[in-house]
Amino acid sequence: MERRDVLRAMAVIAITPRWLLAQTAQNQNAAPALPAPVPWTLGLNPRTPLPQTTVADTVAETTPSYFSAAEMATLIRLSDVFMPKGERPGALDAETPAFLDFLIGHSPEVRGSLYRGGLNWLDAEAKRKFQKPFAKVSDDEAGQILKPWLRTWMTDHPPSQTHADFVNIAHADIRTATTNSRQWLDSLDDRHRDQRSQLYWSPIEPDVYAERPTSVHTRPTQTIAAPKSTHEVRSYPQ
Amino acid sequence: MSVQTTDVLIIGSGHAGGMAAKVLTEKGISCLMLNAGPVVDVTRQATRKLPDELPFRGFKPPGKLEHVFQASEFNANVWVDESEVPYTFNPLHAYNWVRVRLFGGRSLFWSRQSFRLSDFELKARSRDGFGQDWPLDYAELSPFYSRVEEIMQVAGAMDGPPQMPDGNFILDKEPWSDSMKRFMAAAQPKGISVCKQRRAVGRDGLASSINLLLPDAERTGKLTSVQNAVVRQITVDKHTGLPNGCKFIDRLSHREMEVRARIVVLAAGTLESARLLLNSGLANSSGVLGHYLCDQIYGAGIVASVPEARNGRADKKLMGGGAIVPRFRNISDKHPKFLRGYALNVTSTTGAMGANNFAAYGEELDRKMDEYYGSGFHMTIMGEVLARHENHVRINHEKLDAWGIPVLHIETQYTDNEYNMAADAVDTMSEVCTDAGFEILATNKRPNPPGYSIHEVGTARMGDDPKTSVLNRWSQSHDHKNLWVVDGSGFPSSGWQNPTMTILSLSMRASERLADEMKKGNL
Repeated sequence: MERRDVLRAMAVIAITPRWLLAQTAQNQNAAPALPAPVPWTLGLNPRTPLPQTTVADTVAETTPSYFSAAEMATLIRLSDVFMPKGERPGALDAETPAFLDFLIGHSPEVRGSLYRGGLNWLDAEAKRKFQKPFAKVSDDEAGQILKPWLRTWMTDHPPSQTHADFVNIAHADIRTATTNSRQWLDSLDDRHRDQRSQLYWSPIEPDVYAERPTSVHTRPTQTIAAPKSTHEVRSYPQ
Repeated sequence: MSVQTTDVLIIGSGHAGGMAAKVLTEKGISCLMLNAGPVVDVTRQATRKLPDELPFRGFKPPGKLEHVFQASEFNANVWVDESEVPYTFNPLHAYNWVRVRLFGGRSLFWSRQSFRLSDFELKARSRDGFGQDWPLDYAELSPFYSRVEEIMQVAGAMDGPPQMPDGNFILDKEPWSDSMKRFMAAAQPKGISVCKQRRAVGRDGLASSINLLLPDAERTGKLTSVQNAVVRQITVDKHTGLPNGCKFIDRLSHREMEVRARIVVLAAGTLESARLLLNSGLANSSGVLGHYLCDQIYGAGIVASVPEARNGRADKKLMGGGAIVPRFRNISDKHPKFLRGYALNVTSTTGAMGANNFAAYGEELDRKMDEYYGSGFHMTIMGEVLARHENHVRINHEKLDAWGIPVLHIETQYTDNEYNMAADAVDTMSEVCTDAGFEILATNKRPNPPGYSIHEVGTARMGDDPKTSVLNRWSQSHDHKNLWVVDGSGFPSSGWQNPTMTILSLSMRASERLADEMKKGNL
């Protein structure tokens, strides 16, 4: 039995008495039970297999909703320049631009302004220097615009100078979004992939943040997937 | 409604509260411990995941935990959320209040650097005229440090200069790596000591209240603990004017509750303790409560590379290991630009270096990162922040937390003393790196915002004069003899040292004094 199975089994054992209690309480308040062969929450046990799922990114695309079409075109080119496909997947393989559209779109406005300002500045620079949008510049031309602004910096202290701030922060974000993607992690051998895992802490209830109506935790991201069912689900007052 | 009276109510379950519970219950005193958050079970509430399994690919959830630089998507749920327990500050002077309310508090997650203060800190005013001396000296504190080091299993070497007193250590006999030896040789002509790191090893990989202190207290049968008890106010007996318990709210149900106790021991962590005292209108006849908030400057430092370790030549003989450079400024001389001093954490690393250390991208960056792999040499500052009256906290009655408790307004900023200190650290260490033959890749002289170090202390400082201090030399309120505050809020100054060993030692000392006073019938 793998460690995670042991933990899962422990978790279920620890939870079970609460379910029983909950059910007792429920039965006290409910109308008399209808005759049925099995009480309906008693089937799950430590041997119950868990369905296997994948992360949505591998089967679905995000619908960009934050950046304009021109900004997105610039971000796509910038991502490809900063993180081209090499031995490992590049930023475009990892769908980093679409992910950043989601991440930046859900971030405080100051981060959005940095990105929008930076992307528009890149495009203007490309048009000024090379008479074409940034989306169409060659690697060499992109380098002429970007390299003067590259800096070295310590954690939590990216450059604050205008243009250098955007170039270095966007570079770091594009790298992180790419190297943390399923596509990148799948390109690693088992040992290196395992080294990238960390201890994830579940929400400690009540998660006030998650319960806010604006929270992205409770709002599924837009994906191109099966259309929504048309059949109506009736709700009853509690 | 019947309210049971307990001997001692302890508010907070971190190192400070855990030590109080251990000392008091082992002396036969019954204690009730309240903690604002729940007990966490790592086997149920945490699991290993890859970053791509999380909604934000490992990025900190946007808009959340803006002032917790330490947070990532993996650990975002363990920190106190600002939207749940807000605090306010002048937008020009942000404060990073980094909090954990889980049972055991921040003792669950601390980085375990374990240093003693010396008389250079405890009696600093006598040396440079600034601030206030502590009402006790190193000789008095030293035996408590020794006992705390035994419990926390502190590892280190007996190599400290007088400003970093040696202790009761598990001896670190690991040889220095050659890169560290070169650093030491370059530092020595400047009168800078380089010593072995000192860290609490603990047991089973943890040095927390929940595994090293609370089990001892629980074994006595004298400790009762309640989780999810968010304390609103310390209550006062109408007839005697003395604290007699507290009102608290159940975190999940918001049910209002009340408990009674003969003695109240406050160990909620510096700023929560100050907030609770201010919200209760207690212990402030001096007007000093909430003032002299200080911490340590972090974030300034240097990243360098050892050239001989590049291109796959790094090995264990050359690279690896950590060191502490204890404070060396204003020890035997007087620096023209700042009072007190700073220490540096020094680390020789064997793994990949961060991409932000190279002004390159794409294939060029990949080549650089391969070339420099295993050659990193890092120095980061821990500098004393002066305890100033104007750096203070007060209650903001305009804003309430999720349980309707008025929040804290934090008003603090660094001054030239701190900025000059950070600049000196980077300049001095740059010279040492150059002399050692290291290549400097990145430097930063800007400290992180106040609070970042998670070493906030002060706000209820101890002292002999009730007119200028909140607590006496035993961590007991000058105003209310049965109110004791055993966390970092009693510090009159911060020193450069990580405060945990001192908090534990003061809590142990205060709790023994408290037990004696109870035995003598003085309380």
